[in-house]
Amino acid sequence: MPSTNAVSFNTSRVRSYVFRLPLFTRAVIIAIVAFWVIGVQSLWDVRTWGALIPDEIGITTLYRLNTFPFIHLNAFHAIMNILALTPLMERFEAEHGTLTSLALFFGPLTTIPSFIYLFVEKFVLRSNTSVMGASMWVFLLLGMEAIRTYKVNPYLVVATHNIPTWTTPIALLLCVAALVPSSSFLGHLSGLVVGYICGLGYLKFLAPPEKILRWVESKVNIFGRLPYYVNMDQKTYGRFGVLPSSGGSPIGGPTTAKGVVGTGALRLRRDPRILKLPPYLSLLCILVGVVWLFLLPLDDYSRRTYISENALLPGQVHTYFGGSDQNVFRAYKHEVNALVGKSNIECWLTGLCWSRINDKLESIVKGLGLKAGRQNFTYSAAGLVYSGENVYAILQAPRGDATEAIVLVAAWENVKQELNRNGVALALTLARYFKRWSLWSKDIVFLVTPDSIAGPQAWVDAYHDAHDSSRVDSLPLKSGALQGAIAIDYSQESRFESVHIVYDGVNGQLPNLDLINSVVSIAGGQMGMGVALQEMWHHNDQYPDRLRTMLRGMLKQGLGLASGPHSSFIPYHVDAVTLQPFGDGWQDEMAMGRVIEGTFRSLNNLLEHLHQSFFFYLLMQRERFVSIGTYLPSAMLVAINFTIMAIALWVKSGQPESTPAKAADGAEAAGETVTKLNTSTPAVERELFLPLGVVTICQFLAVIPLYLFNHAPENMLTPAFVIFAVFNAVLPHALSSVLTNYYAPSAQQYQLIKSFSLLLLGMFLASLATLNFSLALLVGLLASPLTFMRPWPQSPVLRAACTVLLNTVSPTAILVASAAYWRLDVGAILREVAFAWHVCGMNSPVVVWCVWWPAWLAGSISVLGKSEETKKKTSTVATVKTKAL
Amino acid sequence: MDGGKVTPGRTMALLAGASVLRLAMFTLLPGLPDLLAGRVEISTPVTSFKRLQEGLFLYNHNVSPYDGGVYHQAPLLLPLFSLLPSFAAFPLATYMLYIGADLLSARALLRIAGSGEAGESALFASPRREKRASGLVVAALFLFNPFTIASCVGRSTGVFTTCAILHAIARAVSGAPLGAMVALSFAAYLSMYPLLLLPPLLLLCYDRQLSKHATQSLTQFATTHLAVAAGVLAALFWMSFLVAGSWEFLPSTYGVQLTLSDLAPNVGLWWYFFVEMFDSFRSFFLAVFWLHLSCYVGGLTVRLRRQPLAVLTLLLGIFAVFKPYPSISDTSLFLALVPLYRHVVPLMRYTFVVAAVIMYATFLGPAFYHLWIYAGSGNANFFYAITLVWGLGQSLLVCDLTFAVLRDEWEVERPEMVGKEIRQI
Repeated sequence: MPSTNAVSFNTSRVRSYVFRLPLFTRAVIIAIVAFWVIGVQSLWDVRTWGALIPDEIGITTLYRLNTFPFIHLNAFHAIMNILALTPLMERFEAEHGTLTSLALFFGPLTTIPSFIYLFVEKFVLRSNTSVMGASMWVFLLLGMEAIRTYKVNPYLVVATHNIPTWTTPIALLLCVAALVPSSSFLGHLSGLVVGYICGLGYLKFLAPPEKILRWVESKVNIFGRLPYYVNMDQKTYGRFGVLPSSGGSPIGGPTTAKGVVGTGALRLRRDPRILKLPPYLSLLCILVGVVWLFLLPLDDYSRRTYISENALLPGQVHTYFGGSDQNVFRAYKHEVNALVGKSNIECWLTGLCWSRINDKLESIVKGLGLKAGRQNFTYSAAGLVYSGENVYAILQAPRGDATEAIVLVAAWENVKQELNRNGVALALTLARYFKRWSLWSKDIVFLVTPDSIAGPQAWVDAYHDAHDSSRVDSLPLKSGALQGAIAIDYSQESRFESVHIVYDGVNGQLPNLDLINSVVSIAGGQMGMGVALQEMWHHNDQYPDRLRTMLRGMLKQGLGLASGPHSSFIPYHVDAVTLQPFGDGWQDEMAMGRVIEGTFRSLNNLLEHLHQSFFFYLLMQRERFVSIGTYLPSAMLVAINFTIMAIALWVKSGQPESTPAKAADGAEAAGETVTKLNTSTPAVERELFLPLGVVTICQFLAVIPLYLFNHAPENMLTPAFVIFAVFNAVLPHALSSVLTNYYAPSAQQYQLIKSFSLLLLGMFLASLATLNFSLALLVGLLASPLTFMRPWPQSPVLRAACTVLLNTVSPTAILVASAAYWRLDVGAILREVAFAWHVCGMNSPVVVWCVWWPAWLAGSISVLGKSEETKKKTSTVATVKTKAL
Repeated sequence: MDGGKVTPGRTMALLAGASVLRLAMFTLLPGLPDLLAGRVEISTPVTSFKRLQEGLFLYNHNVSPYDGGVYHQAPLLLPLFSLLPSFAAFPLATYMLYIGADLLSARALLRIAGSGEAGESALFASPRREKRASGLVVAALFLFNPFTIASCVGRSTGVFTTCAILHAIARAVSGAPLGAMVALSFAAYLSMYPLLLLPPLLLLCYDRQLSKHATQSLTQFATTHLAVAAGVLAALFWMSFLVAGSWEFLPSTYGVQLTLSDLAPNVGLWWYFFVEMFDSFRSFFLAVFWLHLSCYVGGLTVRLRRQPLAVLTLLLGIFAVFKPYPSISDTSLFLALVPLYRHVVPLMRYTFVVAAVIMYATFLGPAFYHLWIYAGSGNANFFYAITLVWGLGQSLLVCDLTFAVLRDEWEVERPEMVGKEIRQI
């Protein structure tokens, strides 16, 4: 009974229901509202006037027996009672007529419970609790309804227990008593008792005889003109029938009376047109994703950078580096030149002379009064051995407790294998200069490494005890937690114009934006030099330049290679950048030193690790960026396009229309389809085993290229790549012919293969987008044709076209194309990748070979697929369907 | 797939394959076991292998293992592991123990699947029971489930609880109620929460008892077997007392679960809630959470009286979401039992959604944990959001399975409604 209204919510039905409420019910509701409105004013206390107060009842105050149901404590009370009362009263009235309702509710049905209440309250309990509100009526009517329900449907079966249905109002009574504050249990109970008695028919004699009512109706013509009046002829109309309050059985077939909304959604789900939509939706996602990306450089979408961390105060201190330090610098430069000259070229390459060079450096820094340490490392990748020795010195903070440290890195060679003479000399000069100041609150570590990638990596690994001690020595000397690192890459011999900030870390990780902002503010604002990003030597702050900067940044982050000595620090959550002077200007080494001094002073101010600003951003100019919230949707949209298609294919594969009778076990399948089709549930059993197997095999095959390219020796890389490229072109055909010849997959299975592989791809890319946005977007875009691939069993031309298209966007083809575009050797690229994989822990190969390549393979297989029964015309489908229907 | 007949040869091949795979992962990928043992998804404070080793060290040096508040596992695990050769010197013994536990679980699953209890219980026979999953498939899905493998390789002690629970069910369906009670007592002793499985398990035992003993009334049966379970538990506690030397193991093992004093992150929903909570509300919400966890037992047991195994399955799913320290080993136990309901899978509505949600959560969880802990660019909310999704996926599976099982029952009563679309209200 209460569940009948709970079928589904629909405003239009509610509206029509409210408009069709019969007269007496309306009157009661209006009276309740009116009394509540009256109760709002404070001149006349309607509540004490009308409530049922046992002690107040006398012969003159009997009106209280009739007024109390209309009066409520507050608006909430009134609303709840109206909500509960309306459907019940409406039913009662529809069944018994307006006049009867009027007579009964102004007579016995109100007075009898009130008398019971008064009797018990006054003479049994001997107390004086006043009651008001229509809830007594609610329980009375509920009691009547419960008895009626009990006669029709005596038991509610919960598991094996039969619960009589007439007990439900009692449960409700107890709930209300327990949960609703200041509710009158006794009042409700007396209403319920009278309701039960009435429902059992013992109070029938109280109802006015029908004859009299008819006579009244015929005499008093006015009733007929009243709107919504339920007269004696209409009164049984609507009982359990047409009135909206009594829908069908709560659980039942989709009758017409069911909510329009629910069936609408269901109908929509079954509409075959809806399944044509996903490819367009996917395409839309991709397009929106790309367009979104190109909108980012606009002023409306990017933001100006700002310093979040107040402690940094960049450019607020006077820098004193200069003057006589220039002479010191020249002296160190001389020493550095001597060291470089001393070692002949073979010695330089094999790294045998590091101990000799580091002897000298160590003696210099020890002469400055710093503690020094040395570390040997040997890495091997792609059959080559990279070894060397780091030397570093620690300047202990005069005002610190060695719990925090900042690092200044100068590599002997930058990433382009140019000698960094000025950088090393400047680092030594700064060491001597910093030693003289007493304001450092953090230790300063000066690190000189033989190269820009392996050396810093070995040092940082060992600093955090995360090194493989068979290849990398442990550090003899350590300081506190690293708070930041600045690397100098100063290979230019002449004076410079601007500073180039290199900030990309391994795997596309970035330093906190505050660090870059500080350097920009110090170099650009305080020192008056230019600042460039992403090798954009000239930047006019217009759309094309911004876009180019952003795309270069994304490409670098997507490749995930280390871009300088700073890159190794970022995975350890140490914010780091490399500063690289460039251009032809009038700034000298001292200016560069002052930039570094200013940055170190800012970092020295830090109270805690840089955390305020962004870790995920795309810079498009030195003072413009977009944060992750703005750019993430574009990668997510691209990733979602795969998921949409996967879901669509899954749904499609479960629909009998698109999956005709299976070829393998035709009779059984047809029988199954018959039983399924005469029902309205579109649930075809899916053959999961083969598709899952194919997708799993594709994923496992990915180990081959991953292992091959990371472990082949250098001279074998190019041949291995050629062999793999050929293998890659043949593999889909081979797998496909094995599939069709031995397993004869159905169209449904091809759909499922594609669905699973796209699901995996979408899932991997969505996860990846949170870690390395650029790589996810790059791979997503390159893999986007896979969404639209499907078997073309009837059209060899289309199949060939799709195959050609897929082969041009295969990982190998893309690798060759990009090598040709940047005029690089494929072997050299693979060597770099293998080096980064082994030394820096770069993950991009995993993404390419274990995410992109398997999806590509599965896509190619599904393009080449020839399902057995799609060759049979759709007539088969038609016969099956007619048979079923 | 359906025709996977259980023959001794095939069973042996399956078990051998699973153990070779695990052994290979233990030995050929030397970094993997320790990596997995450190993952919060696998090692909770009450199942972590690292903590077990800490406890073992203290125990072997005659210090109470519960000193220091690191070890929260049952005391009897300590003599077991100290009987094995030392892990540092000879890890193979420990590996074999864990592999053995997994294989025993698989054997129990084979027996459960072989009994056909899922499709045809004493009081109810599903009209779809013909299409049941073969025991081999069920066991293979358990053994080659990545979650199971990860828990085994991560050496979570939840593996033993899983084994004990599956054995309890297996004994129950093969008509050995005493064995079931003993196995469940072991499970409850190891991780406490299996105690909540007692009511449905008793019913399952009662339904499946062999005819020669089947003379008792349910009350009598329940009383005797509860007494057995209580006796076994008492014996285990007494032995623990002898091993630990005092009763302090009770607050350190079960007390930690009850009061959630260790707030290490895990895949459950409790830790973040209690991290954020003001202390004054803590005890109230502890009561609420535990009440919530236990309130499913009564309702499901009564509602699905005719299919006690379904109750057990659903409860295990609910526990995997809502218990204080869940891990993927609990999920793997739930997922091990779900294939038994192969026959109602066509009635389920969200299989794809559930699979996709669980897989997404599986990949995004570690990614967000990495962002929070290692990269420092995320925060705890990232990981918690994903654990919510993970919980959502599993609870969706529980709901869907409940729906399918109920619908299956309902279609027996209302044959005219078979295949019609219905709506839940």
